[in-house]
Amino acid sequence: MAGRDFWKLAWDAVAAHPLRSALTTLGIVIGVASVILLTSLGEGTRRAIASDFLQFGTNVMAIHRGKTTTTGIPGAIAGTVRKLTIEDSEALRRVPGVERVVPVAFGSARIEAGERGRSVVVYGVTSEVPAVWKFEVGQGRFLPAGDPRREAPFAVLGPKAKRELFGEANALGERVRIGTRRFLVVGVMAPKGLMLGFDMDDTAYIPVASAQSLFNTDELVEIDLLFSPGLPPARVKAGVREALLRRHGGEEDFTVTTQTEMQDVLNRVMSVVTLAVGGIGAISLLVGSIGILTMMWISVGERTSEIGLVKAIGATPGQISRLFLLEAALLSLAGGVLGVGAGMAIGAGVAWAVPAVSLHTAPGFVVAALLVSLFVGLASGVLPARRAARLDPLEALRAE
Amino acid sequence: MTPRDLIAFSAGALRGHRLRSGLSLVGVAIGVASVVVLTSLGEGARLYVTGEFATLGTNLLIIFPGKTETTGMSPFITEAPHDLTLDDADAIARRVRQVRRVAPVVFGGASAQRGERRRDIGVWGATSDMLEVRKIRLRAGRYLPPGEATRGQNVCVIGAKVEQELFGAESPLGQVLRLSDERFRVIGVMAPRGTSMGVDFDEMVHVPVSRAMRMFNKTTLFRILAEVSSHEEIPAARAAVLGILKERHQGAEDVTVWTQDSVLATFSRILALLTAALAGIAAISLTVAGIGIMNVMLVSVSERTREIGLLKAVGVTGRQVVAAFLVEAAILSTAGGVTGLGVAFGATRLLRSLYPSFPAHAPAWAVAAAIGVSLAVGLLFGALPARRASRLDPIAALARR
Repeated sequence: MAGRDFWKLAWDAVAAHPLRSALTTLGIVIGVASVILLTSLGEGTRRAIASDFLQFGTNVMAIHRGKTTTTGIPGAIAGTVRKLTIEDSEALRRVPGVERVVPVAFGSARIEAGERGRSVVVYGVTSEVPAVWKFEVGQGRFLPAGDPRREAPFAVLGPKAKRELFGEANALGERVRIGTRRFLVVGVMAPKGLMLGFDMDDTAYIPVASAQSLFNTDELVEIDLLFSPGLPPARVKAGVREALLRRHGGEEDFTVTTQTEMQDVLNRVMSVVTLAVGGIGAISLLVGSIGILTMMWISVGERTSEIGLVKAIGATPGQISRLFLLEAALLSLAGGVLGVGAGMAIGAGVAWAVPAVSLHTAPGFVVAALLVSLFVGLASGVLPARRAARLDPLEALRAE
Repeated sequence: MTPRDLIAFSAGALRGHRLRSGLSLVGVAIGVASVVVLTSLGEGARLYVTGEFATLGTNLLIIFPGKTETTGMSPFITEAPHDLTLDDADAIARRVRQVRRVAPVVFGGASAQRGERRRDIGVWGATSDMLEVRKIRLRAGRYLPPGEATRGQNVCVIGAKVEQELFGAESPLGQVLRLSDERFRVIGVMAPRGTSMGVDFDEMVHVPVSRAMRMFNKTTLFRILAEVSSHEEIPAARAAVLGILKERHQGAEDVTVWTQDSVLATFSRILALLTAALAGIAAISLTVAGIGIMNVMLVSVSERTREIGLLKAVGVTGRQVVAAFLVEAAILSTAGGVTGLGVAFGATRLLRSLYPSFPAHAPAWAVAAAIGVSLAVGLLFGALPARRASRLDPIAALARR
């Protein structure tokens, strides 16, 4: 049989029953489309979270109290024996490669201006936040530089907190009360939106020492630091660890996490979720392949006499078998291509209708989906193809 | 055609093509099995969480410092201007009529040392009432002695794992344990309990609350647990607690009171949503299975064109033909549904024998829904082929070879 005849025979078989072929393909289309859609959703979410992280740059690192190796939330324990203090954070400035250090203490507190009040998250930080967190000041300036151990009556508001307290009026130079203390508003941050579930706009920033006395504590929730971009994170991390160990009497009661490590954990978690959800979606693909198997089986039965004839004029069992495999592969690959298209189209529709949803179709997933659909077709074609190849030409011709 | 003839006709058609019928059935079975297994997992997770909450104690109010407005995580990050103090706990105990017991809690990490062995553990500062409030069971010795919360002795009750790691085979009772360089006498050992709500109880040491506050250099509480005398009085107790704390904190509502029910409801909601989403994704495969059935039925109609023509010629109405093919599709899909249910039951049973603590059970509604949905799938996807069969012109059908 010539190559062209081969293709033509397979195609004719598919085209002879347009409705049947279309329905068989539709099963695969639905399966592939749902896998593509779900993995795109997972990948999109991963990218959205990763970009929240990425804006910090890769040359930052965070230190939390407590040694946590298993649970994901360092600092969930309310008080360890030895705390992280402002002295610790000042000591870190002397570690080679460390450029900027921000001691952080935060908690929620009520902030009041005139008649209006609101519970917001209050961050006790230093003047270096805009540089380390890559936050921009919208109006005025950030907290003034100075000794972090000294309290100072200055506050910077997040845009939402500012709007809620002052409306459209000017906030700069006004006074607010946080807890029992008074602060002078020196700046308003640029809008930042939600970050990892926290509304970064409904906040207030005050000097770290003021925050500590507001929350009646002498410890920090975390220390964030920025190091020279050229340096390997591992080396800076080792330096930081050593400096803290020295201060903490040799006890490792803190956790240093580099940006890269945080991203690694995130990537791992998200790929597992994506795989699981995509896998559940792939059940449809399995059911679709059973549909192909059924239809191919029927097709062999219907074309018994045809197969007998082809065999009688000299076609080998291998050729017959390949013919049916080709037919199955055509059906499923068409389903795969259409499914990828449908999945991406639905995804685009969803992204357009609900802008909050982030979708990203990774080329790897598309290729994988096409390969899987091809494989599924071949696998479900095997049984019918074998049945066809084994038909005895005489019996088959007599079947009519 | 009588109903019996109808079923015989359909069943005969199915028996004629065993493999084909079997494959269509398997498609539905896979779909139904995956939906039922996923809902069982979701239901199991819900039951598991509910069970965990029951071990927490009953009719509990959990009082946190700080007011949560939007984010659910806030209680863990909050250190509000007005903290909870031992006096607050005392005021609740004395003044809220509905509250039976109050347990103030301080929580922190410390390193425990005995001889050469050292271990980082969690330290709960508690009072004698904690025993009842959290339903703690002891394996040896006794729990923290009653007495004024502000005056505690240097005694401690240790978790099972702490005992095993630091004391080995020795009896720890009466022995001395160093907790961050302070000496505590061990007076009791708690029965093994494992991890509950993310906290490993076996790696805990309980000390009197005032001792813990000194150890962590804190004047404030992590939270207050209050046990209400009956379930009906929880809302009243909650309101009374909020009122008293507002009064004590100069009119500021700066605490959050969780009731067990509200926490449980939140968890249930999240889990139900998750289960529904996953089951929904799995249910897509049912659509695919339905398409498979439709396809096979269409083939079946075209194969039996002459047969249908004959039936019509002898006076069978179009409606009866529709019924015959619908019955065929329904038998296929319902059989698939029942098979799928069987597979799902086997899978959940296997899961239960592998993880006995995880109660993966298919909820009753899921069983009914699985049968109902598979029947519906058959009828829905059988409709088109059945209509096609009923519209066949008897003469043309008989004339066809």
